[in-house]
Amino acid sequence: MLTRKTTDVSSFFRFIAKHTAYLYFLLYCSISVMLMQLQRQETLEAIRERGLSINAAVTKQFTDATSVFFLERDNEQLFLQNARLFAQLLREQRARRDASEANAIVATAPPWSGQFKVARVVDRRFSATDNMLVIDAGSRQGIAKDMAVLTPDGLVGRVIEVSSNYAKVLPVINRNFMVSVVSDSTSTTGLLAWRNGHERLAKMEHVPVSSKLLTGEFLRTSDYSTFASRGIPVGQVIRISKDKLFYNVDVRLAVDFSSLSWVLVSLAKPSMEKIELMTSPDVPAKEE
Amino acid sequence: MKKYFLYIALAFILALAQRFLFSKLLILHASPDVLAIFIAYISVSAGQRTGVNYGFGTGLVAGMLSGNLGLSALIGTVQGFVAGFYHVPEESHATSVKKKRMFYAASLTALIAGNLLQSIMLDPLALPLYIRMPETVILGTLMSMTLTVLTYHFALKKLLRD
Repeated sequence: MLTRKTTDVSSFFRFIAKHTAYLYFLLYCSISVMLMQLQRQETLEAIRERGLSINAAVTKQFTDATSVFFLERDNEQLFLQNARLFAQLLREQRARRDASEANAIVATAPPWSGQFKVARVVDRRFSATDNMLVIDAGSRQGIAKDMAVLTPDGLVGRVIEVSSNYAKVLPVINRNFMVSVVSDSTSTTGLLAWRNGHERLAKMEHVPVSSKLLTGEFLRTSDYSTFASRGIPVGQVIRISKDKLFYNVDVRLAVDFSSLSWVLVSLAKPSMEKIELMTSPDVPAKEE
Repeated sequence: MKKYFLYIALAFILALAQRFLFSKLLILHASPDVLAIFIAYISVSAGQRTGVNYGFGTGLVAGMLSGNLGLSALIGTVQGFVAGFYHVPEESHATSVKKKRMFYAASLTALIAGNLLQSIMLDPLALPLYIRMPETVILGTLMSMTLTVLTYHFALKKLLRD
């Protein structure tokens, strides 16, 4: 039996060895047909499409299987992206609000505010005794010392120190601040000063009892001021009480310093000639 | 061994000649097939296996030149295979007449098979099959057989006799 099987196998191999031309023929025909198929564009496209679909299917399965392990990382990335978007939203909202406020302050600026620079209050120090403001405009923006700072409501203060991009402003509500004012009805002049206490209340000093100042009169800067233009609103007289030689006048300030965020800086420089003349000695030089 | 390298070089030369010379000799869309004659000669003199090998190789070379790589290789393989049935072994001591007849028969069979395949599978002019097949098979075979006779008398007669 075994011998018969061995004989069959060896006769098969003998047949193969004898007719190798048939094998070659089949092989070459197969190769030729393959080449012909490969030459057809649609066949190549079909192969590409099939390969793509297989690749996509395998990748999808693999991604589905491994996505569980990367959930924490994905969540972290989403959180970071969310934070970035939130920060961008805040920036845009702030920029829009700032632009709106800046436009509003320019639009409502009084007629005398021809030459003004808009600035934002970037720092402030308010206490019962000492107040100070810092604005984001400095010498590069044309700001100089002793320029008047105001809002459409009224006078804010005076520039006392300037850096390249910032300026320090001495506000009306500072003990060291004084400005010459005049009432609009009776043209009574006096000096406005802030003497501690309420941030909206100041005093009008050096008003003689002989003057006709009335309660409710509006006060504006006068020509006597060394830094402010004439006619800038300052406040309104709310109470008058008689003292020995002068009236004791309470003034409600025009500007609300508690909500101050944008200001105008008057680019008109103070008249140095006038300042020098005023600071010169009052006694004339004796003739030899 | 030297003979086979010579055959390979000859295959290249004949493929070039077929592509740039014989394919231009058109009579009603049919042209002589010098490669089929070469393959038939190889098959008759060296056997069916060698004929198949050379047929495939020669077909590949011709296909590279013509652009129909697969079809040319297939035609060459089929031609080598069918012509191999007319193989005359060296030890058979066959007469030159028999060798001549076998060579003609091999050439005719290879040419018919090749032209038949070509007319079925290649249709560059979009002719109907009833026009394409007689033109290619009959006319092409007749032209090639004329070339076969000429080749035998002027070149292969002595080789086959040896």
